Formats: sequence, C-alpha cells, structure tokens
Amino acid sequence: MMETKTPKVNEVNEFLEIASDFEDPLEVIRESLSNSYDAGAESVTISIKSRPDGSKIVIEDDGQGMSESDLESFFDLGNSTKNDPEIDSIGYKGHGTKIFYKSEKIVVDSARDGTNIHAEMDRPWEKLNNRTLPEYEVAKRTTTSDGTRIEVTGFKSGRGFSPESLTYNKIEHYLKWKTLAGSTKYHFHPDEFREMEIVVELDDEIDDSQDKLVTNNKLEFPSEQLNPGDGQYPESRMCKHYGPHTIDVEAENGDTTQLEIVGMVGGKETRDELPTYGRHSTQFGIWLAKDHIKVERLNEAISHDNEFIHFFFIANSQDIELSANREKIRNKSSAIYQAIEEDLNYFLSKIAADPWFKDYLQQRRVAELNRKAKSQQKSIEEREAIVTERTRFEPSNQTEVMLGLERSNRQGAKPTITVEDFDLGADVNALVEQNDRLYGCSVHQELTDHFEADKPLESISKIVCWEIGDQDKLREYARNGYHGGSVEFDLENNRIIYRNGTEYTVHVVEVSSRFE
Amino acid sequence: MVGHEVIGGGDYDEYFDGIMYSVGSLTDYNISRERYEDYISEPVKNREGFENFNGTLFLDSGGFKFLGGHGLDGSNFEVEIDQEKVYEIQDKMGGDILVNLDRPIAPSDDYDARVEKARQTAENITEFLDLSDGTRSARFLTLHGYNYSMLDTFLNEIDKIVGASRVHDEFDGIALGSLVPMKDNKTNLIDAIQDCREILRDWKFDDLPLHVLGISSTAIPLLAAVGADSFDSSSYLHSAINGKYATSLVSTKSLSEVDFSHCNCPVCSNDELVYRMQGNARYQKDVLGPVAMHNLIIQKREVAKIRDCIRSPGTEALVDYLEHTLGDHKSLRRFTHRVVNESLGGYF
Repeated sequence: MMETKTPKVNEVNEFLEIASDFEDPLEVIRESLSNSYDAGAESVTISIKSRPDGSKIVIEDDGQGMSESDLESFFDLGNSTKNDPEIDSIGYKGHGTKIFYKSEKIVVDSARDGTNIHAEMDRPWEKLNNRTLPEYEVAKRTTTSDGTRIEVTGFKSGRGFSPESLTYNKIEHYLKWKTLAGSTKYHFHPDEFREMEIVVELDDEIDDSQDKLVTNNKLEFPSEQLNPGDGQYPESRMCKHYGPHTIDVEAENGDTTQLEIVGMVGGKETRDELPTYGRHSTQFGIWLAKDHIKVERLNEAISHDNEFIHFFFIANSQDIELSANREKIRNKSSAIYQAIEEDLNYFLSKIAADPWFKDYLQQRRVAELNRKAKSQQKSIEEREAIVTERTRFEPSNQTEVMLGLERSNRQGAKPTITVEDFDLGADVNALVEQNDRLYGCSVHQELTDHFEADKPLESISKIVCWEIGDQDKLREYARNGYHGGSVEFDLENNRIIYRNGTEYTVHVVEVSSRFE
Repeated sequence: MVGHEVIGGGDYDEYFDGIMYSVGSLTDYNISRERYEDYISEPVKNREGFENFNGTLFLDSGGFKFLGGHGLDGSNFEVEIDQEKVYEIQDKMGGDILVNLDRPIAPSDDYDARVEKARQTAENITEFLDLSDGTRSARFLTLHGYNYSMLDTFLNEIDKIVGASRVHDEFDGIALGSLVPMKDNKTNLIDAIQDCREILRDWKFDDLPLHVLGISSTAIPLLAAVGADSFDSSSYLHSAINGKYATSLVSTKSLSEVDFSHCNCPVCSNDELVYRMQGNARYQKDVLGPVAMHNLIIQKREVAKIRDCIRSPGTEALVDYLEHTLGDHKSLRRFTHRVVNESLGGYF
C-alpha cells in the first residue's frame, strides 16, 4: 500500500540560511531603499550608529505604511506581497527584510490610513541560533501621518559594517552602484519615475567628515565634455553620454525582451566625479541590470582592444533572473541571456567605432606622446648640462667609444684606426682598419668590462676601450686565470697575452690616451 | 534569349539589364581564328537570339590580360593588341560603354613603375579619344591607384599628355581598376573608393559616375555607401562553380545543405531546376547553371534594395540596411561601423 508524505521544511534553518545569505551588511540599506520606494515614499532617512553591542540602524520613510499582511510579509519568509512583477516594485521574493534578523531587537512602526501598527521582536538572531523561531508582538494605535520607521538594534555587523570601515564615501558608492539610488529608470520612463530623496546619517564616531549624505534615486552621469581640455591629460575630463537606447532583443527560441541601455565614456577625471570609492577597474565597464539596478558586469561585451575602464554602461532587462541576494544572474544559460549578450556586444561595437571615441583614444595617445617628448626634452636638457660642464669628451657607452676613436683620428692621433663596421650586439663588436688591415674588436668603456662581460679573447684582435679601468681587477684575472687559460696584461706595450694551449695576443686601444 | 533552355526556359531578362564583357576574354576558351572572327563580325545586339536584349553592354579593354606585351592567344592564331585593335573590337561588338586600353598597377609596383604605366595609359587615352571621336557609345576613363596620392600621380600623368579638360569633356564616366588583388581586404577597398571620390572632387570630375572594376558581393553595400555607383561581378558564377548557394549577399550554403523551399526566386520555384540542383543531372553545368542563376538573382535583388535605400531621403534606410545585413556578421561589423561613421553621418 502506498503512503503519501509531505516534505518538511525546517523553518528555523531556513531563516538562518536566508539571513546568512546576505553577506554584505550594507545590503540592509539596499533592502530598505527598495521597500521604501515600493511604499511610494518621497523621502527616506537611514541613520546608523555605532554601539558596543552592534550597530543601531534606523530607517524612516514617508511612504504608505504597512498593512497587517504587509507586516506579516516583513517578518515571514517567502511570503512577499509584491508577487506581481507588473507592479512597479523591486523586491518580490520576501527574502530581503530577513537580514534584519541578524540583530538584538527589531522595532517596526508603520502607519497608514490613520492607524499605526507597532511590532517588536526581541533577540531574533540569538533565538534562531538556539533553534527557536522568534516571535513578535503587535499593537495598534491611531495616528495622523503615514510612514514607516524600522529600528534595528544590535545589528550583527560584519567587517563591511564596522565603524572603522564605514564612511559616507563608501556608502555613497554602495548606494549608486548597488541600490536603487543608482537607478537608471528615469532615463527610460520619466513619466513613471518617482523621485525619492535618500538621506544617510552616520554617527560622528563612524564618520564625522560631513553631517549627512543627501542623494536621490537617479544615476546621474558627469556632464558631457566632448572636446579635450588643457594640460598634460587633456582627455581626462572628456565625456560623452550615450542613450537612452531601447533595443528589442529576440532569442533563437523566440523569447523576447527589451534591453534598455544608457551610459557614458569618459576619462579618469570624469569618472572620479562619480562616487567611485576605490579602483575604477572593479566599478566601470558594462553592467547588466534588473529593475534598473546594476547586478553584474559583462565586460566581455567590449572587444578586448578597447579597455572597459573607459566605459560605464548600464543595460537593463527585466528578463534576467537574479539569485536571492540579487548579487548574481542565474539564467546565464538561457537563450534570452545569450541574445542579450549578443545584442549588447553589437551595440557596444558601435560605441567603440564612434569617431568621438576614436578621437578620445587619440587624444590619450597624443597626450602620452607629448608627455614622453617632454620627459625626453628634460633628459636632453640634463644631457646638455653634462656636456657643457665636462672639460673634455667622455663617452658614456660603447657607441660613444667608437665616436671617440674616430674623433682621435681627426685630431691626428697615430696610428689611424678607422671603424669600418659596428654591431653592438655581437661578441666581436667592430671591424676596424689599421694600416690596410681589418681587425675584429671588442668595444668597451673600460677594459675591465670585457672580462666582466665574460667575453672570449680568442676571437678578437683588439679591445677598444676608453680607459683601462680598475687595474686591480685585471690583476685578479691575471692571478686566477680566465676561461681556463692564463692571461697576462702587458699594458705598457698595450697588449694582453692569453694562453690556453695556444697563445693569443690581443692589442688594447685605450682611446682616451690617444688625445694626450 | 540565347541559352534560356539551359536554365529551364524561364524568362530571366530582368536580371540581365547590364552585361560586362572584356576584350581580353575573347580567346579564353582557346577558340579558333574562325570563331574569333565570327565573334567580332557583327554587334552583339544584332546577333540572332539577342534581338530582344536591350540591356547595357559594358566592354572592358582587359588591359590586365595584355600586361607584358601579351596579345590575344587563340588555338591557331595570335592577335597583337594595342589601343587601336582594342577599340576596333569594342566597336565591332557594339558596346554601349567602352573603356580605354589601360595598364593596371600591381601592389608590388614601385613609384616609377606606376608612373610609367600611367604614362602608357595616358598615351592610349589620347588614341582612344581620337579613334572613338563621334561614337554613340559612352566612354569611361580607367583610373588606377589604391589611395589619394597614387590616384593624384596617375591623373597628373594623364593631364600632362591628354589634358584634364579634354578628359572631362570627352569621358562619360570613371572606371576604377587594379583593386582585384585586394578584393578580400575591405579596409583597403574602402580607402580606395573614398580617396577616389575625393580626388574626383578635387579634379572636378565628380559629376562623372564611378564604376568599380571587378569587385563585388559583400563589398557592394560598403562601397556603394562610400560613393561607388556601379560594379561588375562574376562572384555569382564562381560561387556556383564551387558549389556555393547564396542565401544573402554575405552568406552562402553548401549546395548539399540547402532547403530550396526557403527561396522564392524563379529558379528555386521551378521544380525541374530544384531537382537538378539537388544533383540530379548528368553534367555539372546542369546542376550548377541554375545555382549561378539563383546566386545572380540574390545579388541583383540586394543591389535593388541598396538602390532603393540610396534613393530614399536621408541616410537612415541605408544605415538600417547595412546594420541588418553586414552588421550581423562579426567579421564585417567594423567595416559597417566605419562607413556609417565616415560616410553616412554616424550612429550617435
């Protein structure tokens, strides 16, 4: 006989799991903003205070407060009231608010239509970890204004939320890159778009560099500047906006979506006008977005010879699917995602071919060449100073030793030794002519260089050097032998005698002495 | 129409509104003197079977075949070729558009070699204009060069010997040659056509139509977009010989993979021809003949679309056409972007 069984859910574990899924505590802010926006708020204030037993976070908005069932959804798991994706709302999984469970206490006051619902939950995180499902108490009273206030005490801050690492700068970057504060919706749907003021207040102990941060829910690009500026980096403040463009995408299986693309190309100074916080390489490029909130980058959409760092594009599609914590796209193997990738690639190939972009790259290149020329000019000036200050010609490399040799000929030095062939990279650097005969030479600034370079003696007839160098070094070679043979420096007669079974004589031409 | 039985007896006149032929090709099939003399015995349009042909007959000189002093080589005879002989043949065949005997350049030619060829071409031009004085045919001047400076050098040589004003007054069009060796390098082709348009403006020849000799298929939309007015193409034939069936201007399929029901052209709508294209014929010509005809129809249809796009106001239609044809091919995308940006006003 067959028996019917129902799969069980361990509710406590589920809550623990979901709350833990939100790795970055800044996600509290993201969830709050999405909720406030969904409640139709025009203004939301988030204040964060550092406390010894964890952070205290207060989120307050003027949107329509929660109904009783909304409040249940707030505390329940997987019971979102925002299940209709057609409605202009952002979260609809019912997971987001569960991040608040990582705290000592949650107090919610939410007012609508003259009634305020007050709810309190004590020690949720501790209870969950003790395998108990935390409960909350609800009370109602009358009120005159709408709005919601959520107070989370003793929030278990991870590293990202600890007072020493949290700053206005970091939060602003997070807001504009990861939350609806960086929404690109107003570019595409100005009629549907509702502007929301976002205020963040940090305890002075956390960051006292400003009173508060005030922004809105729009990603605004730095102003356009199509022409290069002055100075060493003329391209640095160049900026061009692209879009908004809406592209109809059709996948091979017939699925369709709309891709809403807006973006800019800009130099470093332009990009610095955005709250970047940190390295541009992790923030710029091509972002895929859902609900007009950036999710993941797809820098491969730009061909490799165009560095993605100059680009900041957001391509939104409501048909990309997100993981529970909104950090990843999970339908990458679907036909529609592939089609999005393909069409985005095509669109960006047009940007990369835009004459303005080419001009921008050209400005960069020319500026770089100018900087190089300037530094070369500087090095010319330095070299000029050396030439002017010295009392006589002094070679600083092997080629100049050769020029010195020719110069000594012109000034009447005897015997005349002319350079017929010179190859800096070869063991035998030069062929010189003396009394109608050619000799293979090794050329050095100092005679000792030949031995330090470990070059052979058998294959050359002469070593041409500017000076002899450290004679004690030569004596050491004479004492210890060289390349398995013995070497004798007869410098009075300008010669080296090398014996390794055969005897070789190498003539030394000390060029400096030819000027005496 | 002559040869219509090979392609199943259908009426394909509309696809033969222009024919390009080269004097240099007369003896391609190792013909005998008798056959040769027959070929040039009366104008093409007077011959039996061509009475109803009212398309344009473009007769190229075939200069590239005669480089190095070669003439026409038949099976049992040779004809020495010079400007006078070429014109005589063009005249006898009754061409509507005639081209002077030219000396095409090669990528390996140095400056002096190119100048010498330009000088020889210039001398031919003088003779060509004298010989053809009073002709009812249109006369096209051949130009050779890959960029502005080369074309300028070429025109300077022509100017020295012929005179720019005579060139302008007596020629009806320009034919840009020597591009065949770079037919697969679209960057160079676009450069050449753009520069040619520019030099024609600077020499005040820009009221003359520009024909591009020997370049076709995927390059057509790009070159049309940068200012070429006409093309001649045998790629429809070459593709067919290699068993390639055109599905668009830029893509082909191997004959064995084709689903003929996807095409509505008269060839693919004819059961007998489809049966043959499926390999059911004794001779390859009967298999591939219809394929060539199909390929030509595809090319002609695309050219007609391009023409419509050019005629429609603004550049939007042509940009749209380029985007949806070449733009879809990754390898052709950058050329599309280039001509859109440089000649059609850009995307942004």
